[in-house]
Amino acid sequence: MEGKIIVITSGKGGVGKTTATASIGAALAMENKKVAVIDMDIGLRNLDVVMGLENRIVFNIVDAVNGKCKVQQAAIKDRKIDNLFLIPASQSDNKNVISPAAMKNFCKELRTEFDFVLLDCPAGIEQGFENSVVGADEAIVICTPEVSAVRDADRVIGLLYAKSVLPKLLVNRIVPEMVARGDMLSHEDVVDVLSIDLIGLVPMDDNVVISTNTGAHLIHNKQSQAGKAFRRIAMRLNGNADLPIEVPRAKKGFWGKLGFKRGRNK
Amino acid sequence: MIEGLFKKLFGKEKSKDAAKKRLKLALVYDKLDVSDDLITNLHQDIVDVISKYFIIDKESIKLDIKRSDNSSSLILNTPILSTRRSQSA
Repeated sequence: MEGKIIVITSGKGGVGKTTATASIGAALAMENKKVAVIDMDIGLRNLDVVMGLENRIVFNIVDAVNGKCKVQQAAIKDRKIDNLFLIPASQSDNKNVISPAAMKNFCKELRTEFDFVLLDCPAGIEQGFENSVVGADEAIVICTPEVSAVRDADRVIGLLYAKSVLPKLLVNRIVPEMVARGDMLSHEDVVDVLSIDLIGLVPMDDNVVISTNTGAHLIHNKQSQAGKAFRRIAMRLNGNADLPIEVPRAKKGFWGKLGFKRGRNK
Repeated sequence: MIEGLFKKLFGKEKSKDAAKKRLKLALVYDKLDVSDDLITNLHQDIVDVISKYFIIDKESIKLDIKRSDNSSSLILNTPILSTRRSQSA
């Protein structure tokens, strides 16, 4: 097996890296791929709690990279999806306990074990970022349609190119009604500013918070538009590169608006 | 002018246009946050190129990045002492 390692990064914090990692990972596993999602945010782990696996942790990424356990011991099997595994971050260490060289080696091992490995990169561009990027083949850069997120994305894209990791852009939390009013940057604006190819567009969706509350998979929520968008991104990553990118649209007309409100108030 | 009239008739500029304009400028500025090394190397290269055509006072050449609200420019100022005839071919 020669798996692909994809780092999910953004520069700015709080734009949806962890949700994207969990959802895209779950969707890839549903397509019958063996997938590992790895929390690289050492000291501030969260991917475990988002996926509802927080009380199954025994070993973590630091143990696995530094040879204190085997990959199979650190990889926690998902509760609902068969081919999905989580390697959690360590909560007590600091980011320098993993060296980029050790991480690069570990990525080689991961490639033989999984079809896809998604690395949930911590915010910032320090050592945690270096460790996440060093063994990656490709990157997904996440940004929201806000000036701060786009600026940080630009910086990260520059760093990724310098390391020869090809980045693609995911614009997250698009509010179509605001875009239609001209009160939010459209995805065209963001792409124009960043000059980079898109991997997908994800709308703002209350279901993200609702799923996270219970540690359920967003992609299992049939009503979730964000979940649908993440599933399409997974299909694009999984060989279906030409799958058209759907632009989140504002619901039009009386009935559409009614449906929109009903969905949000649930 | 038509655009100005349009704005007057239909209210103020959309906030996303302001965002895009500010972003583009911020990114230009961010990238102009250049290192001293880059400036030194650029300075040397420019001196070399100009010296092919003109005799200049290499010490008094000045290279500046000037930033205003709408643009950034590279400003080079150098006194020319004389031309180099041999380069005219």
